[in-house]
Amino acid sequence: MQKHNQKEHLYKLLVIGDLGVGKTSIIKRYVHQNFSPHYRATIGVDFALKVLNWDAETVVRLQLWDIAGQERFGNMTRVYYREAMGAFIVFDVTRPATFEAVTKWKEDLDSKLVLPNGKPVPTVLLANKCDQGIDVLMNNGIKMDQFCKENGFVGWFETSAKENININEASRCLVKHIIASESDPVQSIEPDIIKPHLNSSKIVSCSACFKS
Amino acid sequence: EYEEKTGRAHRPLSPKQNVRKNLDFEPLSTTALILEDRPANLPAKPAEEAQKHRQQYEEMVVQAKKRELKEAQKRKKQLEERCKLEDSIGNAVLTWNNEILPNWETMCCSRKVRELWWQGIPPSVRGKVWSLAIGNELNITHELYDICLARAKEKWRSLSTGGAEVECEDAGFSAADREASLELIKLDISRTFPSLCIFQQGGPYHDTLHSILGAYTCYRPDVGYVQGMSFIAAVLILNLDTADAFIAFSNLLNKPCQMAFFRVDHGLMLTYFAAFEVFFEENLPKLFAHFKKNNLTPDIYLIDWIFTLYSKSLPLDLACRVWDVFCRDGEEFLFRTALGILKLFEDILTKMDFIHIAQFLTKLPEDLPSEEFFTSIAAIQMQSRNKKWAQVVLAALQKDNREMEKGSPSLKR
Repeated sequence: MQKHNQKEHLYKLLVIGDLGVGKTSIIKRYVHQNFSPHYRATIGVDFALKVLNWDAETVVRLQLWDIAGQERFGNMTRVYYREAMGAFIVFDVTRPATFEAVTKWKEDLDSKLVLPNGKPVPTVLLANKCDQGIDVLMNNGIKMDQFCKENGFVGWFETSAKENININEASRCLVKHIIASESDPVQSIEPDIIKPHLNSSKIVSCSACFKS
Repeated sequence: EYEEKTGRAHRPLSPKQNVRKNLDFEPLSTTALILEDRPANLPAKPAEEAQKHRQQYEEMVVQAKKRELKEAQKRKKQLEERCKLEDSIGNAVLTWNNEILPNWETMCCSRKVRELWWQGIPPSVRGKVWSLAIGNELNITHELYDICLARAKEKWRSLSTGGAEVECEDAGFSAADREASLELIKLDISRTFPSLCIFQQGGPYHDTLHSILGAYTCYRPDVGYVQGMSFIAAVLILNLDTADAFIAFSNLLNKPCQMAFFRVDHGLMLTYFAAFEVFFEENLPKLFAHFKKNNLTPDIYLIDWIFTLYSKSLPLDLACRVWDVFCRDGEEFLFRTALGILKLFEDILTKMDFIHIAQFLTKLPEDLPSEEFFTSIAAIQMQSRNKKWAQVVLAALQKDNREMEKGSPSLKR
């Protein structure tokens, strides 16, 4: 492939979920390849940029919006959702209440944001802190698959920012779905859109990559 | 020892001098060049070469000594500057303690005091000055703090035992809400200045921070705990005793700008942002246009700065100096500081795109030069077409109200 044929995608991704579930840690791990137990609380929004060489023809730039978790900010953070192409909703496997909040976050997201074609933005669910061994929710993968299907998640992953588990995989899954939703012929007006060449061998426990 | 060394440096070195004997006194950096006697199995060095080597070595020694002397002089100068600074702080402490604080009401607005105030309040009187400047409009007493704290402790107990509902005046705020608020406090305390290691579980100020935030949720259940508060309370704890920190905390949060933000009154916050943008455009038109072009709205960076009063985004010593002047000038100084930051980095910011500006402003460089920083703030004019900050805010408010009455859909949230 010639270099000038390289296509660049810029995607704005939201990272949302309850306070203290590890949104900032996941982003730091993903972008800076490190982890600290001492991150400060996020107030408002923080930013990160990750560049992926998706395949020979495609560069993907991910603009990550790390949004403060307190429910009270809901009204204020709505403006941050604008024009996002995908989202991670994060919960903490050691705190069941943060899982209960997941549906609330998803509903909030879908009510404030839809793709230009009217569909909800692709969203991946992250069950974070899976290294902690207090994994009360994950024993039943089938149940989680079911949960994702019912609530419109394109996939879910057990992640650990601390141990670097599944974060790259989760991101690939989300980007794959974003690219797929973009190349949806119904809405696509670009004739030279590049079909994603996915190497399925890399996909780890992306149990729910079902397209709606 | 230093005198000894420099004294020796001036003594001319005799070329005949046995270099080895002198080694103890030579600069460390030359020890790798010791001129050992040549091993017996090698032919003797020609006299000419030996002489040349000796000369080279001596030159190096002279150079190294010069460097050392320079270093020592630099250290001495730094020491002198530090002493001077300590003297001036010492003098300032005396002035604050003996002249200003005892005559607060009459002196606090004088030009001399205002100027001294701008230089930064010495840490030993900082808490006192903050308390006086913030005031106690709410008339909170130490007893009231104790009552609020006792009530908070009762709630914690009943929640941790899952016991019966505690009867509280704040009916209408469900038990779930209160529980959430207390849970949030716990989570946030450990994430407040984590690098200082004093507010975390087991740290010396963990319980104090917990108490103040808990007491506040009982004092103002209508506001409750909002993220950002933990940073403000922490800075106050570092400068005041617990009950006084609580009094300053409650009164500080009761100021109109802080109330607007901590109640997350979106409409009012937008009004403040609009007023901020008036001064932004006036002071930094080029950067303002660049931000507009890149869709970089004030909510991206101002929220963190205003909610934490810069304590999270600036190094703590600088943040305290911002607080000093904030106590003197009120809310307008928070926005002036924001413009000072933008001005300081105007050149780099104009070259960046959206994401890089957003990243830069939400994570400012850690080595912010303090003098340049305050010079930059000082250069910001808080007058726009003869209107002061308060007037611009008021005008923006009235405009909002008029639009509200007209039923503008953009403001119906």
